Amino acid sequence: MMLRPLTLALLFAPTAAFAAEPDFDFFEKKVRPLLAERCLECHSAEKKVKGGLRLDWRDGWTKGGDSGPAITPGHPEKSLLVESIHYGNKDLQMPPKQRLAPEEIAVLEKWIQMGAPDPRSEAQALKKQEGLSIAAGREFWSYAPVQKPALPKVESHDWPRSNIDRYLLAKMEAAHKKPAPDAPLHSLVRRLYLNLVGLPPSPEQTNAFIQEATLDKSKAITSLVDTLLASPHFGETWGRHWLDVARFAESSGGGRTLLFKDAWRYRDYVIDAFNADVPFPQFVKEQLAGDLLPFESPSDRRRQLTATAFLALGPTNYEEQDKQQLRFDVIDEQIDTVGRTFLGQTLGCARCHDHKFDPVPQRDYYALAGIFASTRTLANYTDNVAHWIHIPLPEEGPREQEIKAQEEKLAALSHQIATAQAEASAASKLISEATVKPGTAVNPAELQGIVLDDSDAKVVGAWKKSVHVRSFIGLGYLTDENMGKGEKTITFTPPIPKTGLYDVRLAYTYAPGRAKNVRANILHADGETSVYVDQTEIPPIDGRFISLGKYRFEQDGAGYVLITNENTQGFVTVDALQLLEEGAASKQAPDKKNSTPAHKAATLAKQQVKELEDTLKKLTKEGPSRNTTMAVSDESTALDAEIRIRGVEKQRGEPVPRGFLQVTFRGDAPAPAFTPQSSGRRELAEWIVGPATPLTARVQVNRIWNWLFGAGLVRTVDNFGTTGELPSHPELLDYLASRFVEEGWSWKKLIREIVLSRAWQQAVLAPSKEDPENRLFAHANRRRLSAEQIRDSLLSVSGVLEKQVGGSNIAGAGDIDPNNFSAQNVEYNYVYKDLRRSVYTPAFRNKRLELFDVFDFSDINQPVGQRNQSNVAPQALYLLNHPFVLEQSKLAAEAALKSPHSDASRLQNAYHQVLGRPPSSKETQICLGFLSKSQAPPADTWSQLYQMLFASLDFRYID
Amino acid sequence: MNALPFSRRKALQTLACGFGQLALADLAARRANASASTNPLQSKPTRHPAKAKRIIFLFMQGGVSHVDSFDYKPQLLSEDGRMLDFADLRSLAKTGKSPQQRVMRPLWNFAQHGQSGLWGSDLFPEMCKHMDKMCLIRSMHTEGIAHGPATLFLHTGTTTFVRPSMGAWVSYGLGSENDNLPSFVTISPSLGNGGPRNYGSAFLPPVYQGTAIGRAGVPARDASIGNLRSPRPAEDARKQFDLLRELNAEQLLQKPGENELEAVINSYELAWRMQGAAPGILGIEGESQETLSLYGIGQKATDNFGRQCLLARRLCESGVRFVQVNYGDNTNNPAWDQHSNLKKHGDHAHAVDRPVAGLLADLEQRGLLEDTIVWWGGEFGRTPYAEKNGTGRDHNPAGFSLWLAGGGFKAGTAYGETDEWGHHAVVNKVHMRDLHATLLHALGLDHEALTFRYSGRDFRLTDVSGQVVHELFA
Repeated sequence: MMLRPLTLALLFAPTAAFAAEPDFDFFEKKVRPLLAERCLECHSAEKKVKGGLRLDWRDGWTKGGDSGPAITPGHPEKSLLVESIHYGNKDLQMPPKQRLAPEEIAVLEKWIQMGAPDPRSEAQALKKQEGLSIAAGREFWSYAPVQKPALPKVESHDWPRSNIDRYLLAKMEAAHKKPAPDAPLHSLVRRLYLNLVGLPPSPEQTNAFIQEATLDKSKAITSLVDTLLASPHFGETWGRHWLDVARFAESSGGGRTLLFKDAWRYRDYVIDAFNADVPFPQFVKEQLAGDLLPFESPSDRRRQLTATAFLALGPTNYEEQDKQQLRFDVIDEQIDTVGRTFLGQTLGCARCHDHKFDPVPQRDYYALAGIFASTRTLANYTDNVAHWIHIPLPEEGPREQEIKAQEEKLAALSHQIATAQAEASAASKLISEATVKPGTAVNPAELQGIVLDDSDAKVVGAWKKSVHVRSFIGLGYLTDENMGKGEKTITFTPPIPKTGLYDVRLAYTYAPGRAKNVRANILHADGETSVYVDQTEIPPIDGRFISLGKYRFEQDGAGYVLITNENTQGFVTVDALQLLEEGAASKQAPDKKNSTPAHKAATLAKQQVKELEDTLKKLTKEGPSRNTTMAVSDESTALDAEIRIRGVEKQRGEPVPRGFLQVTFRGDAPAPAFTPQSSGRRELAEWIVGPATPLTARVQVNRIWNWLFGAGLVRTVDNFGTTGELPSHPELLDYLASRFVEEGWSWKKLIREIVLSRAWQQAVLAPSKEDPENRLFAHANRRRLSAEQIRDSLLSVSGVLEKQVGGSNIAGAGDIDPNNFSAQNVEYNYVYKDLRRSVYTPAFRNKRLELFDVFDFSDINQPVGQRNQSNVAPQALYLLNHPFVLEQSKLAAEAALKSPHSDASRLQNAYHQVLGRPPSSKETQICLGFLSKSQAPPADTWSQLYQMLFASLDFRYID
Repeated sequence: MNALPFSRRKALQTLACGFGQLALADLAARRANASASTNPLQSKPTRHPAKAKRIIFLFMQGGVSHVDSFDYKPQLLSEDGRMLDFADLRSLAKTGKSPQQRVMRPLWNFAQHGQSGLWGSDLFPEMCKHMDKMCLIRSMHTEGIAHGPATLFLHTGTTTFVRPSMGAWVSYGLGSENDNLPSFVTISPSLGNGGPRNYGSAFLPPVYQGTAIGRAGVPARDASIGNLRSPRPAEDARKQFDLLRELNAEQLLQKPGENELEAVINSYELAWRMQGAAPGILGIEGESQETLSLYGIGQKATDNFGRQCLLARRLCESGVRFVQVNYGDNTNNPAWDQHSNLKKHGDHAHAVDRPVAGLLADLEQRGLLEDTIVWWGGEFGRTPYAEKNGTGRDHNPAGFSLWLAGGGFKAGTAYGETDEWGHHAVVNKVHMRDLHATLLHALGLDHEALTFRYSGRDFRLTDVSGQVVHELFA
């Protein structure tokens, strides 16, 4: 430590020396114009400051940019600037577009050699970053603690039914606005069904409700609400909302889309959680840290492990070749998702710099990054196409025992196979010793056909010439020495004197420790073929060659045989290549290998291996197998993450201790405690649902409000930062947030309280002049049917909807190896034809159900609390012409015609089915007119009528 | 026809639909109305005067070898077969090391063409006849070593994040020039390597997303916009639509003053009109035999891509802003991806060469080349050495070529250079972001000003970089 001042002094000595008597002449004449012309465009306060480097004043290059000081005065060879202008380092080439001329480089080098005298001591001030300080942030409404406000006073006492009503009414009264009348019963019952269970009521359900409501309206509503909240379809409908904010998908999408074959388990987890009304803190903890939580039963454990798929379901670009970059991208996606999903924060902005608007410094981002960097989301960091982690799931008692027994059987069999293989290998070795006599090197000229010795081949990588096993062709053979896997190839390019079919034979030398799956690529006249050679086996032909198959080659055409050591374990040897034209080959290969006792023993041993392997296959196929789930786990030790300068993975800054958003820590709140044994995800979850984080409850209750009213109290539902909108009713928002927490963070209770409010049960009115956006909630909003509601309603009316709750919906997905390249064909070739609720429709990222695409289904690449709404002609075209709509119309018509009733009563029923109300007399007149004028058969006519009801305005909206 | 219960002017103001708006007599009148209109696809004024009004992007998926086509490197001939050190990007990304590589000569012969004397190989003999129209960029470089990331970067300016595609940005910036068709169309797009994200609108309103016509793997003769034809007999369809009009008008009467409902009704009217108009634009039945053969339509090898190119011209004539024509497939190693057997490049070249040349000639003879940019290229180039000492070339994002034609770009010129091997761009380097900035500039947009506020931040296609290459303009 004592040395430091001294070293610094030495470092600056040359500058100081020159500064005493600076020669600015050279700078002014040569350097300044050069900098101005070639550098300042990107490195000055006036223009841009790329890489943090300024060259418009002396301190700019002294301090340097992200990579450190740019110039070491007196030492061109140590100066980054000089390195960059020489274009020696591929990652650091300046100026990037066109390198400097040699004489220009010489000028800069000379100047630095001189000590870089630079008279420019005045700095032009850089614009200050805006952004909210942490202290100021603590005062911003969304970060401030939730205050349960006093109930407001209202003038009209007969309207409000609940506290929610009082908060809303107070604002309406202040604006001299009256609440809308109650919604008609027909509208209300349809609204309740679609909001709570996502399906339209049947005509019978509508009528039953209206009958009850005529006797006791309040009781009828309460009883219907309770019934719907208890329905398993509630979880399907509200779970779907959560799946939007969890950017749930069943494939990775993007470049090389991979099938998330177990993602459905997470979907079912969410549906179950909503049906069971799991308290929100538990829901959060399970999704962020389920693997770290204590459990009491295998089913608890299964649920908790499955929940962590939340962290793994992102649109990961598994194909990224730089795996550390990929790892960092995954972490970034996790931080951004956690921020938006739970906190309504745009944390991704702080990856590269302090948040420009919100009180989130870059340090906070990397404090969170440490938690996810200590979490394992990718199975490894080496695979060409990376993959996620499959975690085996425990089962209950007898089932677990059965599976364990099976696993033991399989393990025992594998052991037997290994033993048998060793025997077979020993038997082969005996033959090897019997047939391949030491010292029998063969002159290639003595062999028939076209022969290329290893010395004739093109060799890539470090192959070693060997004569160790003395049965070879020519002067020896080549071995990869079991090193540098994937870096070595040998290519034979045989001359083809005559077009024809050739037997291609590869010679290698056998010895123990050889590689099992050596790939040979054969380019022939009909394409390219890959063949794998097992070099643990004695070469079957004369103990020297193995046939790679027969291929057609054209005279003087392109053709080669390439052998690679990629993905091999063990020694790879290559001795020679032989091509025998068809006809000659059969003569050359006298099949005497089965004649000796040694050969017989070897054949028997091999047979045994094969039998055992077949048994293993059969047992695996028929026996019980353990389910796996997509999940995350902890790395073996937890580490703090280093700041990445400007978000560039390779530009590392100082490490930041793991932690959370500083803005949530007030007064003497203790800093979070982390251990090196755990990633800190559990602590993260506890912080998210803890009392220090008021964002969480506010964001969730605002979402619930938004999903029920069609607009949030804060309309930017996923952005509670300073760039989001302010709440229209801050007291009501805090009232709801505190109710939510008081009532045990129960979704069902809060939903019940809202839908039973008088405000929610208001009628839809046209927008008023004074409040065109209805921020007062002085009437109900007319809301669009979502893509799922459209599909489920169509299937429900046509009578074919299958109501099975839960379970995979991609046939055979469980058996798919998602890392197999063909797995994506499951997505690309998928034919959507199931009739289940839309929440089960496979949610692929690259190929979606057309109806979903057209009707604004969620962007499943990112958390979405409020979907886009578009009103486009393709929606009209879909309802007018798509076979799915025609089919459901046809089925509905067929069922209608089976009833013995008149057209008029059929019409009544159709209106109730599709629109939840009876037709007006004008509508009856229009429709009966259409029916009577039609020339088509009744089934067609009715089908057309049903279809137009589906296309009509009232079907597409919830009143 | 029933009269609708609201005015035509009103309809114009409230309509927000994916395929433009009700027809007006002329464009000028509509521009005059621009401020009054709420249609997000309203044609918008440019930031600066611009020659180009639209763009056709001929996407060569998989990566064409520039050293076999437009970047002539004699050194590859003289050094063919030598094992040399190259900084192989894939090996470096994976292992930090780069093994030696075998120099591989171009498999096609180069010659100088036209007045300009630009070099081109006989891989594309027909395109080479048009070299005097081309503004060749031979110093491209980009991001992403694998197809997925590089393809997404080409289209959306990011290898990883979900961002709007360039066509969506252009639609957002310029609006539409037509009434019955979308402003951004992609013909036969691939499901792979980013799939719909490559023409998606991400956080931009969905009205700006690309509309797919057909998809990779489906013959171009069957390519259409989804659900454009009624499956019912024409007379039934008309009666049925009349019923819908009556029902909707009746329902609307009960809920007066709701702009959104009126807009839904308008979307049906537009859909109905499109059903009548679009098949005429998408169909090529009216084209002369001369035109068809100009594009190679009717000949087995070129029929498919020829149809796509001709459709692109027809869409341009109908006022579509951004037409992407895809030559690719749905696989992980798409079309031009010759990791081995580079000869196969010849088959792909044969399939696109005449159609592309035909398109250039046709646009020129119709006077469309003046204000239409044609952009030909892939997501990256290929290495000058053989991959794994085999018979193909690996991906090369560090240096590659593409060409632009028309739309105010300098004709018969080449810009930038790669090193002596054609491996890394070294002189007048043009990053993919620079190309994005330049193309936006050519269309009258400023890439730094074309932003969209989302999630608390202003986003743009070029993120925080990209420079307009002014030298490319005539």
